[in-house]
Order: sequence, then structure tokens, then C-alpha cells
Amino acid sequence: MTLGSHDYTHRQPGTVWTVEWTDALCWRRLICAMLLVLSEQHKGHLSFLSSVDPEVVAEFGRIALDFLRRGTSPKIYEAAARKLGASVEQVQRAVEGLMFLVLESCRHTLSETDFLDSILVLGFSQELNNNLLQLYLQQSAQVRPLLAQLTPTLPNYHSLEWRLDVNMSSRTLRQQLCPVMTLCLLLNKGGAGGGAGGSERRLLQARPATLLHLLSALEGALDTLKSSHTRRILRNIK
Amino acid sequence: MFSVDWVLAEISTLAKLSSVKMKLLCAQVLKDLLGEGIDYDKVTKLTADAKFESGDIKASVAVLSFILSNAAKHDVDCESLSSELQQLGLPKEHTTGLCKSYEDKHSVLRERLKEMSLRLGRLEGVSWRVDYTLSSSELRNISEPCVQLKLQVQGAESGASETTVVSVSAEKFRVLLCELKQAQNLMNSLQ
Repeated sequence: MTLGSHDYTHRQPGTVWTVEWTDALCWRRLICAMLLVLSEQHKGHLSFLSSVDPEVVAEFGRIALDFLRRGTSPKIYEAAARKLGASVEQVQRAVEGLMFLVLESCRHTLSETDFLDSILVLGFSQELNNNLLQLYLQQSAQVRPLLAQLTPTLPNYHSLEWRLDVNMSSRTLRQQLCPVMTLCLLLNKGGAGGGAGGSERRLLQARPATLLHLLSALEGALDTLKSSHTRRILRNIK
Repeated sequence: MFSVDWVLAEISTLAKLSSVKMKLLCAQVLKDLLGEGIDYDKVTKLTADAKFESGDIKASVAVLSFILSNAAKHDVDCESLSSELQQLGLPKEHTTGLCKSYEDKHSVLRERLKEMSLRLGRLEGVSWRVDYTLSSSELRNISEPCVQLKLQVQGAESGASETTVVSVSAEKFRVLLCELKQAQNLMNSLQ
């Protein structure tokens, strides 16, 4: 996803870590507070927001959310610029800057205090800060699922069709009795830019012995879910 | 046969319908299983009396389609189906209605399930042409017949139609024909 001509990609969020040691055998629990570090360019773009009314900020927020879903058109910016008496470029940069702010906050799931602390550096009025906070809270619920869809995924399992045949004879050998299992694996091809990818069919053939081995290997894989090692990890991820 | 938890849960939803409405719902679900499409407006009207929400409607359609398709898959006869459903808690009138619909469409359903089974690349069409080669750039006088075969196959992995054109000389074609006739005799002996 590109944001006009401005490079919003190279900046590191600042993190403050506190470490809590529990049992030596358990995982360390890391509690971190994150603050966004906004680049000078970003701050410049967002400073336009301080010169407009709060309703306009809310409107910009709505445009920014639509941008994530559907992309945007210059007409919207032109209309806004005309109403506010500012240049189209300023409006566009302000909207994109706002959208990037919301996006980064959602990506790191900033709490309210962290978000407020991050935008303190912009030097906005208290009212504007609160408006931005409300915007962030409203939109975070919708933005996170959208972001989740943008990750690249491997093809994943959709369904399996099978057929059991018996090979009675062939051109080269008559009078045989050879059971053969034909499997059709239907996969959902996920790609970057998610949504419903295409589907893929993979055809496989297997003898019953191979199939039994496959079944036992898969059951072994499922059994590892119940092992104590896995359970310890799952407990600590929560 | 039905050892799935959600089937047990949804059978109680089905029991909320009157038996007449359930028989009509069965008819709709059978139409869907036979590939004729389901009329969701009719289904909504049928379930409106029992005040089904959209989740309940989907659940009852799903459980009926599961029961009917599994019964056809394992070729269950009517009495076993009826006794098993009653054991799961479906009232008697509903069970008899369901079994009657199942029995009516039993063979048609099995035919349809057979068609839907996995097949690797079906042969869609064959067309042929016999040519007589007079001469070519390599040899002046050839004077030999050859067969052009066009095979239209549904691709195994892609599912799209693939066309293969081969030209077969007379001797090769005789061998091919002989082998195919042997295969046909084998198939006939098995039927």
C-alpha cells in the first residue's frame, strides 16, 4: 500500500520494556508500553489538522477509513479543499497522515494513554487530542480485521475428495487385483491482498499401505497438541 | 451413523416445526441436493410459523441435508433410518415424513451422488477423420491412409476442457483398436 509520494515506511516505534521474572522454567512475561515516533514530515502533514474544525477532523477520519477499504479519488480531496479554502495537496497529506497514524496505532494496539502520549508531541489542543482518540477507538475495531487480511498466506485446506478403485488388469498385465486410492485435495490459494483467493486442485494417488502410514503420521501430529510441552507454551501465550 | 454433536443439537430445532412443514422443507433440501437449487423464500415462509431466525433456518437446512446425503451415501434402508432418527429424539410424525421423502428420491439421489464422485479427467468427445497421404516433401509416392483423432478431455487438475489432436498411422491404429477391444471385453465381463 503506497501513500502518495511520502515515505512513511522507515521509522521505528519506541518501546519501553519492563521484564517480570516468574519461575525460571516459565516464559518471561514482557510488559511493554509502546509509543509511536512520528517523523518530522508526518508531523508537518498533521499540523494542518489543528487549523480546522473538529467535525472536519471526523470527516477526514471517515475518508481515511474508506481509503483503507476502497482506495480514494481526487474528487473527494478537491471538494474538501474547496470547502476549507486550502490546497488539495494539504488536504490529501492531512488525510493520509491521519490514516497512517490510525494504522500504526492499530497495528501495535496502542492503549489510550499510549496514543495520547504519542500525539502529545504534535502540540495539538486538548479537544483535538480527544477527538483523535475517539476516532482511533471507533476505527480500531474495523481496521484490525482489514489489516489481518493483508498478510500473505499459504494455500490452506478446503476439502478432500477421494475415490477407491481396484486395478483389475492393464495393457501389460492381466488378472491383477491392486487397490488404489485417488485423492483430490482442494486448496484455497491465499495471497497477499487476501479475500477469496482462487482454489487449487491437487491430485494424488496412494496405495492403502501408504494411506495408513499417512493417517498414523497425521494422528501423531494431532497428539503433539496434547503433550505437556505444547500445553505449557499455550498456557503462556495467553 | 450420526455421531456428530451438532446433529443432535439441531434435531431439537427441527422438532419445533410441524411435521407437514418439515416434509415440505425436506422436499426443498432434496431439490438442492439434486442440483436444482433451493428456493430460500419458500424456506423462509415455511419456517416463519415456528419463528426461526436466520441461524435456525441455516441449521435446519444443514442438518436435513446432512442426514439425507449420509443416508444415501451409506445406502441406508428406510426402517433403520427411521429407528435411528427416533433414537436421536426426532418425533415419530417427523421421522415418517422424512423417511417417505427419502424413499421417493432414494435412487435419484444415489445416481446424483455417483455423478458427483471424483473422476480423473472425463472424456467429453471424440471426433475422427481418415486421410489418405499421396506424397510429401520427403517421399514422392506415399499412398497410405492415416487417422486423425481429436480427443476432448476435461483436465484432471484444472477442470477445464483440453483438446488433444493426434494422427495415427494404419498399423498403430490397428494395434490401438485391438487393445481397446480387449479392454472393452474385460469391462463387459465385469458388469
